Amino acid sequence: MNLQYQKQTENKVKELSEITRLTTELEDYILVQDGQIVTKQLTSDFDDLVVKTYDQALKDHADLFTKLSKAKHPKSDAYLYNFEECNSGLLIYLPKRTIIAKPLHIFYVSTKEEFTHNTVIYLEDESQLNYFEHLYSEGVGSYNYVSNAFVGENANLTYGALSNLSKDVASFVYRNASVARYGVSNYRLADIGDAIQLMHQTTNLDGEYASGTSKTIAITSGPQEARYETLVEHNAKDTEGYIEHYGVANNESALIFEGIGQINKGMKQSVARQSNYGIVLGEKARLDANPLLLIDEFDVEASHGAAIGKIDEEELYYLMSRGLTENAAQRLIINGFLSPVMSLLETDVLKDMFLKRVEEKTL
Amino acid sequence: MATLKITNLHAEVEGIEILKGVDLEIKGGQTHAIMGPNGTGKSTLASVVMGHPKYTVTKGEITLDGENVLEMSVDERSRAGLFLGMQSPSEVPGVTNSDFIKTAMNARLEEGKSISLFKFIREYDRAVEDLKMNEDLPHRYLNQGFSGGEKKRNEILQMKMLKPSIAILDEIDSGLDVDALKIVGENVTAMKSEDLGLLLITHYQRLLEYINADFVHVMMKGKIVKSGDISLMEKIDQEGYDWIKEELGIDDERVVVKEEEEKVMLGTCATKEALDL
Repeated sequence: MNLQYQKQTENKVKELSEITRLTTELEDYILVQDGQIVTKQLTSDFDDLVVKTYDQALKDHADLFTKLSKAKHPKSDAYLYNFEECNSGLLIYLPKRTIIAKPLHIFYVSTKEEFTHNTVIYLEDESQLNYFEHLYSEGVGSYNYVSNAFVGENANLTYGALSNLSKDVASFVYRNASVARYGVSNYRLADIGDAIQLMHQTTNLDGEYASGTSKTIAITSGPQEARYETLVEHNAKDTEGYIEHYGVANNESALIFEGIGQINKGMKQSVARQSNYGIVLGEKARLDANPLLLIDEFDVEASHGAAIGKIDEEELYYLMSRGLTENAAQRLIINGFLSPVMSLLETDVLKDMFLKRVEEKTL
Repeated sequence: MATLKITNLHAEVEGIEILKGVDLEIKGGQTHAIMGPNGTGKSTLASVVMGHPKYTVTKGEITLDGENVLEMSVDERSRAGLFLGMQSPSEVPGVTNSDFIKTAMNARLEEGKSISLFKFIREYDRAVEDLKMNEDLPHRYLNQGFSGGEKKRNEILQMKMLKPSIAILDEIDSGLDVDALKIVGENVTAMKSEDLGLLLITHYQRLLEYINADFVHVMMKGKIVKSGDISLMEKIDQEGYDWIKEELGIDDERVVVKEEEEKVMLGTCATKEALDL
């Protein structure tokens, strides 16, 4: 395999107070900083899990890399670039019939000008993983992040993500999943950062009865521009794909959702559903939703919809009629919107950080 | 003992006058019922008292213990002791019933103070039991996916928790089956006291079989046209409203209401429409 991955020069690792604060109370987490695993704190539940940086993995798990190179790659140049040119890489491998119920939190931190990261998550048949990634940047520049998940037969991947990148960063995030027969992938992605952002998530339903859910939550504020794309492609019969987008656009920001449910010819009895919910807070803000269905087969179920507007006046009135101030009612409605990701944040520190960021961005 | 006083109240929506001079006084310990056919302004009266942003008051006044209600915002009215059990309560996704009520109860306390969690849970659980609702109610999203009956019972539950001094129940009986109506009736009756003034708005008589009313009013053409005691309700039950119309020389009891503003439909075009592009 032609992999250019270079081990980072042994720089002294910068201590990041914010990350230290966020990881308190977390039982299991890994901190990846500029391509090195800086902290790895895992309880015995994770004994069967393999987590290696690419340079380590090339030495210890050459067989796995061969396997990966044979696995189906998404049709994206960005993907290949990122795989071959990355300066930070992580392999997460779960052997057959291994179920880990506890969530695995991974913090990906960049302190440099350029961060090009690649993560591979490989779940063998009948295994189960609850993965949660946190994207942070202390640097100025570009933050490129690609993850590829291979979900084996009857395997189950819950994939949570929280990105909180600063406004000095231009970010490109691309997350792919390939789901085999009876496999399940469940993506819940939240962006509460200020970066100029392009985020993409593709789920390939490659085996019969595979199912994929992808929920994206985003809040844009200030002069921010961000685009979130979700594609679920049905490459097998009897597959189910669900896309949900929740967005809040504040100030003069621009937020775009593009969701595509694609059912290819012959993929009978497949289900593609999509919904978009948006609140436009800022007078000059803009929120677009393009819910698309590309369907090449008759015998399927499909639906798509978008509801975008100001905060619902009736909802606001209802909450206020019970004594909540307008501000408190608005806060409750917006937080309610974000509950799919909120519920994945385990510790109070993470929840507080999330709510504080949401409050800052929606003021 | 609270007193809600409505004097010569006129209100309009989008330039069309719906209320045309309503006078009503409700004191703590009293139960009033407003009856009348559809489209006569009953629900508008309830919404105006609570301060729905859609309606504009053009004349008249509303006071609660002498305080001018019309100058208060919706949330201030609630904190002053007013409660409106709504005809069709909103569904709010992502906000749980218990979080909502807890926030509402805390809003009544001084800033920085909050109710004891233990006390709250005990009280909430008891209310859920009283209203024979499902145990998972506190963790469900506010009214989302609720049946009509569940929504109405949830309104009564909120009233139980918030303990208002004046409560208006707007068609709390519509969409309820007999069993649910009985539960709602019993719970409301149990709440009656010198500290609670009740206004029931209904166009069915059967609600008043479960909640005794001291005063019965009939509303037509945006006004209260007849008031009496429970015997008035019994007469309406037997003879309908026609005799009142004849007596007062009213042909059509309705006030004209235009259809609600067109809702924005789903889709990309709607996005643009909603953003007014």
